[in-house]
Parts: sequence; C-alpha cells; structure tokens
Amino acid sequence: MSGDLAARQAALVAALVAGAPAPPGFAPGPLAAARTALLRKRAGEVARHWPLLAAGLGPRWPEVFARWADGRPTAGSLRDGWDLARELRDAGTLPPLGADELAVREAGHRYDGRSAPRPRRPPGWGRAGGAVAVQLAGRVRLLRPARR
Amino acid sequence: MSGPAGVGLGWRPEIAGFVAGLPGLRFVEVIAESVPAAGPLPDGLAALRERGVTVVPHGVRLSLGGAEPVDPARVAHLAAVADLTGAPLVSEHIAFVRAGGLDAGHLLPLPRSRDAVAAVCANVARAQADLPVPIALEPIAALFDWPDDELDEAAFLTEILDRTGALLLLDVANVYANARNRGADPLDLLDRLPLERIAYAHVAGGAEHGGFYHDTHTDPVPRAVLDLVGELCARHRPPALLLERDGHYPPADALRAELDALAAASGFPVVT
Repeated sequence: MSGDLAARQAALVAALVAGAPAPPGFAPGPLAAARTALLRKRAGEVARHWPLLAAGLGPRWPEVFARWADGRPTAGSLRDGWDLARELRDAGTLPPLGADELAVREAGHRYDGRSAPRPRRPPGWGRAGGAVAVQLAGRVRLLRPARR
Repeated sequence: MSGPAGVGLGWRPEIAGFVAGLPGLRFVEVIAESVPAAGPLPDGLAALRERGVTVVPHGVRLSLGGAEPVDPARVAHLAAVADLTGAPLVSEHIAFVRAGGLDAGHLLPLPRSRDAVAAVCANVARAQADLPVPIALEPIAALFDWPDDELDEAAFLTEILDRTGALLLLDVANVYANARNRGADPLDLLDRLPLERIAYAHVAGGAEHGGFYHDTHTDPVPRAVLDLVGELCARHRPPALLLERDGHYPPADALRAELDALAAASGFPVVT
C-alpha cells in the first residue's frame, strides 16, 4: 500500500505549497495554519539569502513574500529571492537596497530563471532600478547604488 | 566519543562565538546538511571537538517518513558528517519533507497508520545499514493530523522504536505544542513513551499565532515547556537536554539565562 501513501503524501504537499486543493478529510483550519507557517518559515530563509531585499521591504517583507510565494513551490531560497526581486523590479516596486543586491547578484551570476544560477565569466555587469554592479577580476563591486 | 550529557545547545554559525564561550558545555548538535561531507568542519565546531565536546549531527532533510525509499546519497552525507564529527550517534525525524517531486520546506507529519509505520521502518533500516553509529528518531510538532489515524501517538512512536531498535530524541517543546494544539494533556504522552530509550531531549521556544502554538525556535522557551522538562526529568531524566535556537538570536545574556533555566529545570549543572 505504499503507492497509496506516496500519492497521499504528494497530494498533501501539493496542497501545502503548490496551491492544490486540500485532500479530503483534513480539517481546513489546521491545514491553513500549516500553510501559513510554511510561508513564514520560507520568508525567513529567503531573507537570509537576500538580506538587503528583505531589509529594503522592512516590515512589509513577510507579507510581500507570502503573496508572491503562496501557491508557488520553492526553487530554493536563492532562486526564490532572485525571482521575487526581478518581479518587483519589473513592477517598479523594488526598494533601493533590493536593487543594489539584485545588481550585485546579476553581475556575479547568470540566472535563466529556470535552473541554478551559474558564475559569470568576468567581466560581468548587473543593473537593477538604477543600481549598477560590475564584476572584474573575480570580484563584484557596486559601482552606483540605486536612487534613494 | 562519549554520548550526549548535560545541558547542550544547537551549534549554529550565527552564535558560534557565544557557544565557544560556554565553559561547561559538553554537548552540541549541528545541522547535518550544513556541513560539507568532504569537510572541513566549520572552525568553531572543530575547536569544540578539540575540547572534547560531543557533536551530534542532526539531519532535517532525509525524509525518513517518505513513502519512497530514502535517498542513499543523503544517508551517505549523514554518515560522512558522523565520521567527520566523531559523533556517538546521529538524529533525524519521524516525518517527511518532500513528495511527488515537491519540497515542503519543513517537516510534515505522517498518518499514524500501519502503512506509514512500515514506510518509516523500512527507511530507518536502510539508513541504519549505511550509518556508522546509532540513530535517534525525533517525533515532530505538527499543526494538523491526518484524517484516518489508526494508532494514537504513543502507540505509533513506540511501534516504530520497537521495530527499528532506534533511540528516541524526545522534543519536549513538540510534546507541549502538539498537546496544546490538540487540546490534550502532554503528561499522557510522557507517561506512555519508553523514556528509557531517550538519547537526549530537545527544548525550544515558540509563540502563538492565529490560535495555534507554533514551535518556532525563534522565540523564548515558555515557562510551560520548562515545567514539562521538570515533569519529564521527574519520571526519567534523559542523559542530556539540548536547547534549539534557529533565528532572532537574543542578546548573549538572554541566551545564557535560557540555558540556566534549562539546567535548573533538569537539575543538570549550569554550563554558562
């Protein structure tokens, strides 16, 4: 019967992190609390990988992250933060600190949005929201911070 | 290396300096997945080893409760970290963390069914075959239960321990959280678990959000959890009690006070 257990575990994880409907029989209140707790934990983990992005959003970070992440399974904290930062940049709502951090990351790594970021061969450039970073001789420097 | 003893603390890079300055400390845990299998150990941890401090690798991503066979590469990593740290044992959870190709990002509860007991025991046996030291299994804190449990928690855990021969890592804060969220008495579980099988116990802080008590590891240890430590020790004091803190690290004085409170609740010597 482990096939049954596997399917039931998969349905539960999908409901918790990928926006799938709750499997039958589970009490909705506790399941919703678990979903929210997972998002809160994930927000903390992504903030550790993207400290300036989180700091730039300040007290709004948990809510901004949770809105973006709800129903979207994690691709790992590094990529989750990267995807969110790009989305905020495209929407014009990336805070300056987050723009600085994104520019530095873009200068150091090439990230196609689908697989793990790879180190860029220098020289590399990164731009976000007015911030400009450059990678020379293997070191990334923020040339110009985003407008405050 | 000797087994876990006395009051311990979860070693994390953020508090490595604090941990290094605890004169009486004899036991720490390290998150196994945070140590590279090929070494070297983080500096702070290597220094503790030289002082004779026991280091126990604590796995969080094996997914021993998954219906699929445990990933041999993850077991090999845990085994390598056990060798690197010269550990007397390792620990992991009675839980699953991924299924159907999706990662839950956290420990999820199993249905308390015969199927799930069989799945966990098969995975624990696979892990035991490749680990150089014994494994202790930790029951988790869960905010929800599966709808069709066949066993109660004590019967479920005891069955798994009996069939695997594994040691028990009892998390007192998890016992408190589960009982509180289910409206049950935590002492009922303490009275029915094989407390003599405990290799060491965990203690951590938590907080209430939205009507549920969350075992956050980022908040202070509540008085009620310390009281439950006292209840546990009155029944059968485990060889060691370890404080887990995983973020929002408080000032050193506050963390020292938590360790002292744990020593007071258990009767172990202070380590600060």
